Amino acid sequence: MARSNEVNLNECKMVVPLNTWVLISNFKLAYNLLRRPDGTFNRHLAEFLDRKVPANANPVDGVFSFDVLIDRGTSLLSRIYRPTTAEEPQLNIAELEKPVMAAVVPVIIFFHGGSFAHSSANSAIYDTLCRRLVSLCKAVVVSVNYRRAPENRYPCAYDDGWTALKWVNSRPWLQSQKDSKVHIYLAGDSSGGNIAHHVALRAIESGIDVLGNILLNPMFGGQERTESEKRLDGKYFVTLRDRDWYWRAYLPEGEDRDHLACNPFGPNGRSLEGIKFPKSLVVVAGLDLIQDWQLAYVEGLKKAGQEVKLLYMEQATIGFYLLPNNNHFHTVMDEISKFVHSFNS
Amino acid sequence: MLRYDSTSSSAGSSSGSLSSSSSSSSSKPPQQDIDGLLAGAGYKVRSSELRQVAQRLERLETAMGNSPADFSQLASDAILYNPSDLACWVDSLLTEFAEPPPTCSSDFIVDPVNNQTVVNSAWTAAEPHTPQVHQNITYDEQQSLDNQLTVVTAMEEDSGIRLVHMLMTCAECVQSGDLSLATSLIDDMQGLLTHVNTVCGIGKVAGHFIDALSRRIFQGMGGGSVNGGSAFENEILYHHFYEACPYLKFAHFTANQAILEAFDGHDCVHVVDFNLMHGLQWPALIQALALRPGGPPLLRLTGIGPPSPDGRDSLREIGLRLAELARSVNVRFAFRGVAASRLEDVKPWMLQVNPKEAVAVNSIMQLHRLLGCEQTRNSPIDTVLSWIRGLNPKIMTVVEQEANHNQPGFLDRFTEALYYYSTMFDSLEACRIQPEKALAEIYIQREIGNVVSCEGSARVERHEPLAKWRRRLSGAGFRALRLGSNAFKQASMLLTLFSAEGYSVEENEGCLSLGWHSSPLIAASAWQAVPAWDNHMSSS
Repeated sequence: MARSNEVNLNECKMVVPLNTWVLISNFKLAYNLLRRPDGTFNRHLAEFLDRKVPANANPVDGVFSFDVLIDRGTSLLSRIYRPTTAEEPQLNIAELEKPVMAAVVPVIIFFHGGSFAHSSANSAIYDTLCRRLVSLCKAVVVSVNYRRAPENRYPCAYDDGWTALKWVNSRPWLQSQKDSKVHIYLAGDSSGGNIAHHVALRAIESGIDVLGNILLNPMFGGQERTESEKRLDGKYFVTLRDRDWYWRAYLPEGEDRDHLACNPFGPNGRSLEGIKFPKSLVVVAGLDLIQDWQLAYVEGLKKAGQEVKLLYMEQATIGFYLLPNNNHFHTVMDEISKFVHSFNS
Repeated sequence: MLRYDSTSSSAGSSSGSLSSSSSSSSSKPPQQDIDGLLAGAGYKVRSSELRQVAQRLERLETAMGNSPADFSQLASDAILYNPSDLACWVDSLLTEFAEPPPTCSSDFIVDPVNNQTVVNSAWTAAEPHTPQVHQNITYDEQQSLDNQLTVVTAMEEDSGIRLVHMLMTCAECVQSGDLSLATSLIDDMQGLLTHVNTVCGIGKVAGHFIDALSRRIFQGMGGGSVNGGSAFENEILYHHFYEACPYLKFAHFTANQAILEAFDGHDCVHVVDFNLMHGLQWPALIQALALRPGGPPLLRLTGIGPPSPDGRDSLREIGLRLAELARSVNVRFAFRGVAASRLEDVKPWMLQVNPKEAVAVNSIMQLHRLLGCEQTRNSPIDTVLSWIRGLNPKIMTVVEQEANHNQPGFLDRFTEALYYYSTMFDSLEACRIQPEKALAEIYIQREIGNVVSCEGSARVERHEPLAKWRRRLSGAGFRALRLGSNAFKQASMLLTLFSAEGYSVEENEGCLSLGWHSSPLIAASAWQAVPAWDNHMSSS
């Protein structure tokens, strides 16, 4: 057992830069400390360990941020990131919600990852990622601090996402000048990608227009053990065991992984045929053990006649988008930028 | 509710460069060579150490692979420190869960409190490291907020934003001396207040700021009677502020925890409290000392407070009550009151510190009052820090408002204060007990008045953020003691027991802060004097 462990460690060190390896391994170790075998979670230690950063209304590299309480009842906070413009390099406190000036401004509602249990909107890694999204896409980003498992199970995260969507849609200051509408995209990585899908589903009959979904290594699964899960288990930072733990923590008690939250195109899923679902950009890392589920998701969308673009990054591991030190990062960021600025959006 | 943090930070710097960081210890090596990308993720690792850290992570992984189930259990009991410092963090885990690391050249690892490695102090706990410090207070159970808060209409929201805008413009006028325009703005704003809900939210806070601005304009720079309340009144307001929200409880609790640990192994201990008030902090410490394994020490408490005008000796009264409590739990206790109107009037000989005692200096929101206008060489803050250092305390606990209310420019101060106190008032909405809530609001209102409408020696509420205090205290010959994961956990638990949802405790390089909805409002830190022979700085 120790021997194959050695091989695993060496393998994943070869495919990522050293600082990325240190970052993700550190998360892996820390997360191991937090998950208890009985399904409970050491939330105090998790909050102690999570590196957080405050919002900053002073622009840093052309981006400023501020926190807004979207829903008092659930303490739902979101962090808004805005780009500064040439005309207004700095806003003061009364102008944080000044109307966006451009003809078209994409507003990306972002759901951070963490397998439904970890991280927050003000985690350093996600604050950094959102800032990059603003700069690269010239977009406004709304990062939602949704309620996490196991304290808050399905459907809390989706409820919070839905609340955020309604809130964003009703902000006059986020409306693009061209058509006085808010141009909304849903985005997320890992569990955030899963949330983006389900919030888009909820939006379908509501009359709220979601222009596109961006799913980065989205978290999906199912009862079956797929080939990629068996092949890649434990090889690149992630084990099946921890995946199972997070699903048990998020799904309602007693449910299995074919629950529609986990497996949207599985036996309990809902058909999207004939439904006006947003176009999707799905990024799959070739060294992610759940890729078979992610690829099945893409297939499911295609079969239902939905527009979807798959970006399969062969040598990428989970978390490749957290540090800009690899080609996958830059490729994906370019694609996301194109996606939110494509004609007819 | 709008909120923002105007202190510029290195957050989000995608170029990987590192802005000046606050070094908590003067003996740390310079911050070159730190991996910029990991810094953006909140971790400090030197590029030259990356490989070493990676190797240790691997060892840890292998060790964990052998007994994974034990891990989360061990994690619950271990006391962990400073997760930003990856190298030491990994080493501390290795010692907990595997074998000791090879000699670490980094000097972060020495725990100044007991001269052992940080990791060892985590090991020695067979039982929880220190007895639980719980406050002996009654507090109504917080109900979750129902629809009691009025729904903000679109018009109100709009008026609210306009109010903020006008407040800023008015402050700008005051700064530039255009008092006639400022005055007419005051009138307009008071008119606008009638359109806004002043029971909660921005309307309530705006009202107080309008009053403070008004006072500033009409009473001249002297400020007048903003802080004119008697000592007795101030104590009452303070007590209600203590009850209505968790800020002071957090301060007391965190400081007590650190003091308790610092006093470990000492039989004669002496606490110097820079602002006794009703002595609310001390019953819990007395009880914790009573429960100490091996028995309680002899505890001396010196409480500093303003003189009572009417012949009462309020300091002594508090001392008597605390003595009563100490007697009931068999703690040998002695109290001394030192009456002084200002902290800078206190001289160290008044404290009668015995060289054999372990001394703890406790300052809850007092140091900022010493930052008076003239920043001369022997300014009050330098003098006081110098004699504190001379006492060679085992620990100095410092709690301060996490705010930048001492900037020279009025508009900057005003803006900061508007944000800070809106957040604080917002948090107070969760309080459901009266008259605690109303009186707590008056307490905060007085602070606002001082920040906005006073100047010179009358302006005592000169809050500075933790980063500034770190630099100041390091420069004065102090070194930070880190508050670890156990203090964090207990602070978090205290919050869940006594407060509404929305408060959050955060760890920041060994210091803890308490905030409302991710905005830190109060920060607690612990310090020790660097031994004189180690000091590279000139002592003032």
